[in-house]
Amino acid sequence: MARVRVLETEKRSPARRETDAALSLAQRLPRLVLEARRAAATLTHGIHGRRRAGIGETFWQFRPFVTGEAAQRVDWRRSARDDRLYVREREWEAAQSVWLWIDRSASMGYVSSLAQAPKIERALVLGMALGDTFVNAGERVGVLGLMRARASRQIAEKIAQAIAGDPYSLDDDLPPRAPIGRFDEAVLVSDFLSPVDDIAAAVDGIAGRGGRGHLVMIVDPVEETFPFSGQAVLHEPEVGLQLRVGDAGSWGATYRDRIKLHREALFDIARRRGWTITVHHTDRPATEAALRVVTLVQAARGGHIGPVAGIGG
Amino acid sequence: MLGLPLTFAAPLVLTALAALPVIWLILRVTPPRPRRIDFPPLRILADLLPKRETPARTPWWLLALRLLIAALLILAAAGPVWNPLQSADGRGPLLVILDNGFPAAHDWRERLNLSIERVEAAGRESRVVAVLATAEKPSELQPLNPAAALERLRAVKPQPHLVDRQAHLASIERFLAAAPNAAILWINDGVAGVDGPAFVEGLARMSQNRSVTVLRAERAPALALAGAENAAAHLSVRLVRAETNGRDTGSLRALDLKNLPLADARFAFRAGATETEVRFELPIEIRNSIARIEVLGEGSAGAVALLDDRGKRRRVGLVFGGTTDQAQPLLAPNYYLSRALSPYAEVREGKGAVADAVAQLLNEQVSVLVFADVGALDRETLAKVTSFVEKGGVLLRFAGSRLAAGNDDLVPVRLRRGGRNLGGTLAWDTPRTFSPFTRESPFFGLAIPADLGVRRQILAEPEGDLTEKTWAALQDGTPIVTAGKRGDGLLVLVHVTADTTWSNLPLSGLFVDMLRRVVSLAGATEDIGAEARSAATQTVPPRLVLDGYGVYIAPPPTARPVSRRHAERASDEHPPGFYGPVDASLAVNALAPGDKLAPLDVAPLNALVAPLVGAKTIDLRAPLLVAALLALLVDTLASLWLSGHLANLFGRMRRAGAAAGIVLLAVALLAPPAAQAQSRAPDPPTPLPQESMQSALVTRLAYVITGDPQTDATSRAGLVGLTQVLASRTALEPGEPIGIDIARDELGFYPLLYWPVVPSRPMPSEAAVRRLDGFMKGGGTVIFDTRDAMNARPGAAPTAEAQHLRRMLATLDIPELEPVPRDHVLTKTFYLLDHFPGRYASGQTWVEALPPASEAERRPARAGDGVSPIVITSNDLAAAWAVGRRGEALYPLVGSDPRQREIAFRGGVNLVMYTLTGNYKADQVHVPALLERLGQ
Repeated sequence: MARVRVLETEKRSPARRETDAALSLAQRLPRLVLEARRAAATLTHGIHGRRRAGIGETFWQFRPFVTGEAAQRVDWRRSARDDRLYVREREWEAAQSVWLWIDRSASMGYVSSLAQAPKIERALVLGMALGDTFVNAGERVGVLGLMRARASRQIAEKIAQAIAGDPYSLDDDLPPRAPIGRFDEAVLVSDFLSPVDDIAAAVDGIAGRGGRGHLVMIVDPVEETFPFSGQAVLHEPEVGLQLRVGDAGSWGATYRDRIKLHREALFDIARRRGWTITVHHTDRPATEAALRVVTLVQAARGGHIGPVAGIGG
Repeated sequence: MLGLPLTFAAPLVLTALAALPVIWLILRVTPPRPRRIDFPPLRILADLLPKRETPARTPWWLLALRLLIAALLILAAAGPVWNPLQSADGRGPLLVILDNGFPAAHDWRERLNLSIERVEAAGRESRVVAVLATAEKPSELQPLNPAAALERLRAVKPQPHLVDRQAHLASIERFLAAAPNAAILWINDGVAGVDGPAFVEGLARMSQNRSVTVLRAERAPALALAGAENAAAHLSVRLVRAETNGRDTGSLRALDLKNLPLADARFAFRAGATETEVRFELPIEIRNSIARIEVLGEGSAGAVALLDDRGKRRRVGLVFGGTTDQAQPLLAPNYYLSRALSPYAEVREGKGAVADAVAQLLNEQVSVLVFADVGALDRETLAKVTSFVEKGGVLLRFAGSRLAAGNDDLVPVRLRRGGRNLGGTLAWDTPRTFSPFTRESPFFGLAIPADLGVRRQILAEPEGDLTEKTWAALQDGTPIVTAGKRGDGLLVLVHVTADTTWSNLPLSGLFVDMLRRVVSLAGATEDIGAEARSAATQTVPPRLVLDGYGVYIAPPPTARPVSRRHAERASDEHPPGFYGPVDASLAVNALAPGDKLAPLDVAPLNALVAPLVGAKTIDLRAPLLVAALLALLVDTLASLWLSGHLANLFGRMRRAGAAAGIVLLAVALLAPPAAQAQSRAPDPPTPLPQESMQSALVTRLAYVITGDPQTDATSRAGLVGLTQVLASRTALEPGEPIGIDIARDELGFYPLLYWPVVPSRPMPSEAAVRRLDGFMKGGGTVIFDTRDAMNARPGAAPTAEAQHLRRMLATLDIPELEPVPRDHVLTKTFYLLDHFPGRYASGQTWVEALPPASEAERRPARAGDGVSPIVITSNDLAAAWAVGRRGEALYPLVGSDPRQREIAFRGGVNLVMYTLTGNYKADQVHVPALLERLGQ
């Protein structure tokens, strides 16, 4: 019989270990695939040129002042250091970003003896690895409601800091209703163990401006199969629900029917909005889900619009 | 109850069994606690929540188990007793009289169990109990509650002496007066104590109309040893019993002082007999070392007879009348006598003139005095010797020229002056031999060697009783050994000398046997004078006493010293055992020689006599409680299993398994050796380090690690070179040289230690110097090499190395040293050398000074008794010997001689040979001289 365990609250924040794991996972992802697809995406959307000066907030370079320019563009601080005048140029910021959101509610801090890792650990690793991969591929990555999109080289550490520094969202079961841009992508990593209506509302809130997204559903094998028998009391860690089950074996059958319905409803939500859904079991390696999500993001960039749903391991 | 031998102490408790159905109902609706499962998806199943399921019922088997536990507890609380002892002697106090003299030790466990059973039975009936142990000192009898009485009973141990029951009559009387309705229970050993039947009569008088129960065996089973006699040819032991009891045969065992068995002997009682004699027919040496004889399997102090020094090795004093010069000690009479006597007697030789010697020997309390050719004694000595003989001593005289010249009256027969010669040059007759010993003679049975010859003897005056006094005679009937009683003692005269001038008797085995017979006669007599006088007043404390089971224990505080003459049976104050120092012990036994065990007749008591058989009462409370506890344990495990905690527990155990396994394994590994160590030896030897093992197996040269890397490398290379030379030139193949730390390593494995002196290194510690001292005293040799021959100038200030060495050796016990003399054995052990060069040839080599050469003979080589423990050189030997990996010399030599390195190696070979063979070569170089002297 499987043994299960609920993690403490502090274990639900990313630490060095998760960050390192995420970076090593990101290194293993085939970057070339992403690079190849990027060119096509640039053509399609026409706004994917980056790494050059333009409208933006981030410093890009100093260049010599050209006669005829507006004098207010001179960067006097730099120019005072020698005899020439310089102009501070900013990087051209693209309007397109990938927005991550990782569920850190109590239900995520859960591990059974059948799983390789706790759900929360897997979610954090997966999220940060995806972020690092996207940044390396030239995308900008932000965290919904926590961190604006940026292309920092140390994006995994940044994400970890941002998440770890936010104790308030530890109870949030669903992402904040922050609409993303039309060409932005959202990646929601969660176990989606909330009522279907709430999930649908949250997804609508994000996709309000036409942005699309990907749901990554982290599932502990125990939650899939319910391999218990005998007399038991079920405890729910978030709201504190309890259920006394006379015979867990027979109750398991009911449960599996019920969770199947929930899963179908989720697929339906994704399909209606053109989102994708990936179900990841924590007894499988994280690479599988990561590869699938990267592929899906690129497929979406490639203009291949349509309902894509599948089980990423 | 129900025909079963079962009663309950509190039968009312059994009504609680009626409550079992209620318990069943309650238990049935309280199922075991369900297991808890954390399960986050429960939230989306909120619609499933109202469908609560009814809890499962408690499984029937768990229910049955719990009912069983309840039933067991109720039964245990009711206090069931199987086979209860029904008392027939009322409800009053019970007086338990328990015999605990040594006759009860044999079956003490049964007796104690029986009495405990009786007291417990009394306890169930709430009676007070008084316990009286008859072998203990009389004391006031206290009525005790049964628990305290049990404590008191368990403290009673069998005592190693006969009981004196009469002494307790007074306290019994007082107790009975205070408790008129008391019943008496006497667990009896069937043997009359020192008081005989007095106690039975007294008790009968007091217990007119009381219930008296006597528990006793049908026949008193005790066996006891009463007296052991060390007779002339055997050790006889008297075995007694109170009455014929069916134990007719068995074994006795004789043990020495260290409790090692020496001999076994079978015993058998004739039908109806109550005593028998057992003989140990052993050589006197073994008989002498017997300290304890016991009846095998009896286990009581009465079945142990302890033997002391009385009648064991006799002390024999030798007095020689001739001059005391020892020019030819091997031909003196005392030599023959002491050689013949020493195997079985302690021989003391008198010093000085005859009078002094006699006085000294009498002071040493000899039991046999041997005069070899002592003529007349002065008056004072004569009085002393006469009194010695009259008090039981044996005087053995040998003839000789002085006795032939004139004698005193301490001879058994009147002697003629002069004597007679047989087989002289002018006589026809040949030396005479002995005629066979007559049956009356103590020498009867000894074989007479054929080549015995008496050339001269002194003659007895023919008298009427001469034949009675004759123990041995020549073939022609002339008495050659005569003896006569004088007071309690004995005078024995051998008519020849104790040396070989008159006969070859002292050379024959017959001489030894005759002396042995004569000396053993002394043991049969009473104690001799001086000892007896002091014994009256001297007391000796107990050293080792027996407990009731006949086991040696340290003396209890109640044991008191006894006088030297103590010959009574043991008592409470004088437990049996050895008294006094080891070499002059006095044995006190539970029974005195001649004691009998008498059966005890309890008929006057008019009592109920029952055999010593218990009722086998079993209190069922404890087994029931244990069963309930076990069932409870099973129930707990079952509950854990039902609620799923057992799996958790096993999971945790699996994690902790490795650590627990290691701990268990360690305990398992450590425990048996520890147990063995306790039973085997107090401290097991610590294992030797590996290199010590290697060093012990193969001879190897060793150098002292000074801490200076350059010097140490040179030492090692030098010893490697020397090892190679030794292996190729000599029969010695040393192992790899080893560097040792003088403070830490075991030095005992190395015959030779090379120590280069490095002044810049600190001095060795005090402990290291002590170890070095032990090494040198134990036969090791240390070569100190100051390596300063280049710098040292005769007469100049000592070099730093020399000063360092001097300080180092200041606290060592160093013998006198000298430069190696030309005839020292060191120069000849393998090669013939005259100096010992190393890297330098100018230094001097010092060794322990030899004793000065004797003037008488000119020896080519000299050696002391051992090997010089120290050799000091300044020639830097190791540098000359040092070779590299390919065998090349590592250091150039300082000196003009092209053969210096070869001579250095030869010197090294000689040094090693010297330390290994010692002064053997000094003898070896004598061979030509010895051969020459032998005329070869």
